[in-house]
Amino acid sequence: MDVVFSALLLASMYGLVAIGISFTWASIGMLNLAQGFIFTAGGYTAFLFAEIASTYGLEGVALSVGLIVAGMLGSAVAGLAVGAVAFLPLQDRDNFRTRSLIATLAISLIGTQVWLIFFGPQNKPLPPIFGTGRTEIAGSGIGNGQLGAIVVAVLMLGAVILWMRSSRAGLQMRAMMMNPLGAAVVGVSVRTTGMRVLAISGALTGLASVLLAQTFFVSPTSGVQPLTVGLIISLAGGLGSIPGTVAAAGLLGLAEALTARYLQQSLVPFVLFGIVVLILIFRPRGLGGLLEDVRE
Amino acid sequence: MSKQPLIGRRSWRPSWPVNTEKVFKRRRYLGTKRSVLRLSGSYNPKTLRRELVLTDKKPTFWLIGLLLMLVLPIAVSNERFFALFGIICIYAAINVMWTLIIGTAGLQSFATLATVGVGAYGAAYLSITYGVPWPLMLIIGLFLGALMGFLISLPARRLDGLYYALLTLGLSEFCRNFVTQSDQLGGKFNGALFGVDRIVPSDLMTSWLGQVLLYISAFALLLVALAVFRWVNGGRLGLLLRASATNREDEAFSSAIGINFQRARTWVFMIASAALGAIGAFYAAYIGGTSLQVFSLDLLLLMLAMIVIGGLGRAEGAVIGTIIVVGITQWFTEWGPWRIVLVGVLALLSVLYTRNGIFGLKAQLKEIRQRRQALHRAGLTSRYAEFLPQQAPDIHDKAMIVGRTFERKLRDRLRGWITPVIIEEHRRKPLGQHSDHLERILNYFRQGPIPDKYAVYCEEPFTSYRVVALSGVPGVPPRVVDDKVYPSLDEAYHAVFLRRVNDLRSS
Repeated sequence: MDVVFSALLLASMYGLVAIGISFTWASIGMLNLAQGFIFTAGGYTAFLFAEIASTYGLEGVALSVGLIVAGMLGSAVAGLAVGAVAFLPLQDRDNFRTRSLIATLAISLIGTQVWLIFFGPQNKPLPPIFGTGRTEIAGSGIGNGQLGAIVVAVLMLGAVILWMRSSRAGLQMRAMMMNPLGAAVVGVSVRTTGMRVLAISGALTGLASVLLAQTFFVSPTSGVQPLTVGLIISLAGGLGSIPGTVAAAGLLGLAEALTARYLQQSLVPFVLFGIVVLILIFRPRGLGGLLEDVRE
Repeated sequence: MSKQPLIGRRSWRPSWPVNTEKVFKRRRYLGTKRSVLRLSGSYNPKTLRRELVLTDKKPTFWLIGLLLMLVLPIAVSNERFFALFGIICIYAAINVMWTLIIGTAGLQSFATLATVGVGAYGAAYLSITYGVPWPLMLIIGLFLGALMGFLISLPARRLDGLYYALLTLGLSEFCRNFVTQSDQLGGKFNGALFGVDRIVPSDLMTSWLGQVLLYISAFALLLVALAVFRWVNGGRLGLLLRASATNREDEAFSSAIGINFQRARTWVFMIASAALGAIGAFYAAYIGGTSLQVFSLDLLLLMLAMIVIGGLGRAEGAVIGTIIVVGITQWFTEWGPWRIVLVGVLALLSVLYTRNGIFGLKAQLKEIRQRRQALHRAGLTSRYAEFLPQQAPDIHDKAMIVGRTFERKLRDRLRGWITPVIIEEHRRKPLGQHSDHLERILNYFRQGPIPDKYAVYCEEPFTSYRVVALSGVPGVPPRVVDDKVYPSLDEAYHAVFLRRVNDLRSS
């Protein structure tokens, strides 16, 4: 049961980041490698919020909700900033994919240093959101923080997917994901929708950031690991396919939990990498990704 | 209005007169047909003397630049200078190899530093544990790099460009994780290894000679990397891959004409990876150890920034970008994190505003200039000319074009002078002395071309005249333009004048 919880936690966190990357790629054709920067932006916003909240003596549910909202807002703003630099000016230029890729990489290079300048290299802790106790489920204990993280992540992901399915803005985004040119022809603004997508995937990443900060800390380079894992998960799931990404997140989370439990922690990277390479060798567009063919 | 040259500008090429008494002998590299300098003989149009023209200025620039790089640190002989330029040489060597992968092979691989790191860690570990000397380390690095390259190039056959980029981007991070968590490598000093056999013996290290030797070894590494780049990119492999550049259609095309681009790509990738592994081993021997810095994402991004700032896909871009970025990051250390921000901003600017970094700037500026000239020319066309030299490439006699432009202007001016007063003046007195404007208009009419020129035809002297148009061909009679008959010669003259005025007005 421990393994299942561990796998679920990893899967939900990876899933949040990976779906952000996947969304962005599918709708605007930009590989957002500044996702690590967006991740840390959320973490630091939540940290700042916690600092301010502690001076006002905020506690309990208000603090928890505030932290989550602050993290999501911070990341959404960071996502918009990335869009303003790497998406809007380049969007109608040739070779957009490579250029935006390099631009987002440059942003992530700058971002790390900016955090270093303003917050220093130390790890910053966040106050616990879901308390510190443990809950017994099916005969095995799990920390409240981890349980809460899983629940909130799954709920938020579900809400976003539902919103994508039912709202008008979601319809526009899905139209962009299916065929950007067609969407533009029928009157969906590429720029507005693109920025919206960036804000939403930013918010999801920010949520992952705040939730992961329960177990790890916020530091200038804390975005690298989620970015890398998020990237290879969205890759394994097929860029642009939400069910594929969720499946890949589950699979890789499980693989990581199992390897760490029964083999060795140091083997985790190799197992993950091996699985992804295997998936990609048999299905070069990832688990669910036939989308690229449609785009062509 | 600025004065525009009618004929395109020619780029400046250095030239010098030759002694025509002697036979010019082209110097070639030993054993090859490649000439040292690409020279061509020509005649100077002004002095009419025979001279040699340097058609390719690049090798000269390379030579000057590399000589400067070699001499400058030794001339200054400052410890900091040696360190700075040594690092520049090593990073430039890595970037040149990376350029080979991205530019020549067209594979968007980010596994460069992972390969370097594997070479460095493997060689360093063997050197520490078994006391392997540094020349052997280089060979070990070479093999490790080649092995790594082979493994990484496997998925490249199946994966699309960006998918491959993502996959390889994760590789560094995984290597870092592996080193941190492995007991032999990372257990002791947080991933750092010390005590590797150094290129320069440790008793020489502090002396001037030791520093110079160390720097020269790094410089030699850069030279070897450039030579490998030249050999692969300028050789058969590069040729094959240029035919099958990067996009899908080109791949289909190259398969169709029988180029196995996948194999060529794998070869280039493996050669470059082997070189990267050797560079890693060299680096370990150069600083006497390795650290986890090699695998950090930030270093990878810095390297990418170097390539992007210099110009993707060109060896000179890789070297210049490295000099700029490493210069900023290693020299202005007191700026702290701001210098990395500066590098990031530079990279961002070069992505946003240039097409291909510094070395793409020339072509880009040229295009901007040409676009501006084209706009200017379009403005001119609507004002004066029937066409301009650039629009009539099939007309070789540019003087004719200039002549037509002049005529167009002249016609415009004359048209403005034609008034009822002038016409009345001509009607009253077709021959004899006229006012200045009328005289000029008539002169223009007189010098017109013979074909279709109007003339007066006398049917019967003093009673019946007609207006005809000359054929311009000997033996072919003129044609009658209308059935009007004029009773006097003066009236016929005036009728011709009116017709010509009409034609001038409608032209």
